[in-house]
Amino acid sequence: MSFIELVNLQKAYGSAPNQVVALDDVNLTVEEGSFVGIVGPSGSGKSTLLTLLGALAEPTAGNMRIDEIDVYALGEEQRADFRREYIGFVFQAYNLIPYLTALENVMLPLAMTSTRAAEQQRLATVALERVGLAGRLKHLPNQLSGGEQERVAIARALVNRPPLLLADEPTGSLDSTTSAAIMELFCELNRDGQTILMVTHNPENRRYFHRVVTLRDGGIEDDSELRPTLAVAAGR
Amino acid sequence: MTLFGIAIRNLKRRKARMAFLIAGLMIGVATVVTLSSLTVAMQEDIQHKMENYGANILVTPVRNELSLNYGGIALGGVSVQAQELRQADLPLIATIPNARNIAAIAPKVLGTVSVDGKTALLMGVDAEVEFHLKRWWHLDGAPLAAASDLVAGSRAAATLGLAVGGVVDIQGTTFQVSGILQPTGSQDDELLLVGLAPAQRLLGKVGVVSFVEVAALCGDCPVSDMVNQISTVLPQAQVDAIQQVVQSRMHALEQFQSFSLVVSLLVLFVGSLVVFVTMMGSVNERCHEIGIFRALGFRKKHIVRLILTESVIVSVIAGLAGFVTGLGVAWLLLPHLADSGHGAHIGFDPLLAGSAVLIAIVVGALAALYPALHASRLDPADALRTL
Repeated sequence: MSFIELVNLQKAYGSAPNQVVALDDVNLTVEEGSFVGIVGPSGSGKSTLLTLLGALAEPTAGNMRIDEIDVYALGEEQRADFRREYIGFVFQAYNLIPYLTALENVMLPLAMTSTRAAEQQRLATVALERVGLAGRLKHLPNQLSGGEQERVAIARALVNRPPLLLADEPTGSLDSTTSAAIMELFCELNRDGQTILMVTHNPENRRYFHRVVTLRDGGIEDDSELRPTLAVAAGR
Repeated sequence: MTLFGIAIRNLKRRKARMAFLIAGLMIGVATVVTLSSLTVAMQEDIQHKMENYGANILVTPVRNELSLNYGGIALGGVSVQAQELRQADLPLIATIPNARNIAAIAPKVLGTVSVDGKTALLMGVDAEVEFHLKRWWHLDGAPLAAASDLVAGSRAAATLGLAVGGVVDIQGTTFQVSGILQPTGSQDDELLLVGLAPAQRLLGKVGVVSFVEVAALCGDCPVSDMVNQISTVLPQAQVDAIQQVVQSRMHALEQFQSFSLVVSLLVLFVGSLVVFVTMMGSVNERCHEIGIFRALGFRKKHIVRLILTESVIVSVIAGLAGFVTGLGVAWLLLPHLADSGHGAHIGFDPLLAGSAVLIAIVVGALAALYPALHASRLDPADALRTL
């Protein structure tokens, strides 16, 4: 069984006759350890797909399994627990809490676990060191550059060691040099076995992906494997 | 990171808003504390004054004759031929268990005398106690000082042609009119008041009294207890509480308490509205932030707890500040409202302090409850608005 399975997934907003179908009958499987790019023009349903993958909204039809868990069979509060344990989300606008330091932002996903304060701090520090921000622990978001804020967002997404990392335009507001550095970081995480699905508008990012799924008008227009995943390459 | 830590961080970044929230609740709590403290202090003062303002217990001989009215109060069988009370027994009143609650014991001997061929009502009193008890008596002249002094009621003076400084002969004993009571509208206007001993001699009642008025301080004991205790030490007497007096005093105090309660509740309600409106505004401003929390895996109950934690922190501060402020205001106002020399005072009451903080927490939490529930119901995807 694949790590991610989307079966006849549909998401519509509003009601007839003004209903907007953002995703229409999407079927998709993703293997563990993949680095998948989701591309397409504006309005193609990329962000909606990411929303559903992140268990942040319910589909109108269809179902979704992640690690063999039927996500939308869970109750709303169980989905919150699922998000905390299974999914790391890197938002388009970083979405850091402005009154918390970098370290405290990264500790947030641990706040609702039974992890003790000292351990929370240690895990968050390790995550920030992993993304190269060891010297920025006590800085507030407005004291960090765009690239640094993106790294904090990535560290926060990883601190709980979720099996799945979702990223929505992580390099959208960064310069090319910083974008490249961020993408290299993602590659590094993927090389360590992290499954990553990333929405991007930047064609330069394609070279980092194992696979590119192209959406148009709420459906999958193209699904191309660019190179094998490390797991496949290792014959696993 | 804990919910408490997040709450503290959020409150710190919006100091003006937090100050506004604290002020709103603090004013409500301070009002409750001020009114409560003043009510207690003024109750003591009012009670002290009222209980020194006339008697509320009447001790009379056992009734066996027609009753006479004195001042609109039934005397319970006093008549000139009735058995009277022994003066030597009166100190027994001071031996009852609640003796500390007795403000005054005012014995009187009553009888009729002939003055210039006219019959008049003579009352012998313990001058110091009687004039202290009957504070509504206003005199032209001076009260009884010497054994030969006499104070006349206004109608008695008019009828007998008495004037201050004049002399009157009562059955061979000469008295000097030291004062004349201004009209009271009661039977006091008909009296000729002299000292107890001279009256006893004149009336041939040495060693006896006709009745005794007792003023009891009834703050912490029912009048009926006092009545029963006096009855026990004076089995030959009839002891009655002047219920009309007791009940009217209690009614006045209860009305004052009710007024204080209503005002306190109103001000607290306004304070809670301030909290409600401010928290709702805060939640609406923090939609995006709440969406982040939900996206990161916070459950609805965590969001509710977060908002309520912020409210409780603010409430505790407001409760403490309100208590201190309320106490200070009460302390400043009390001299203008009560005679603190009579024991009315504002003191530190730990129970009031605890209650003030508890009221603030309850009001603050209740006012923040709807905003907290509203926040928890925000759709994370809608709240984030980037997806």
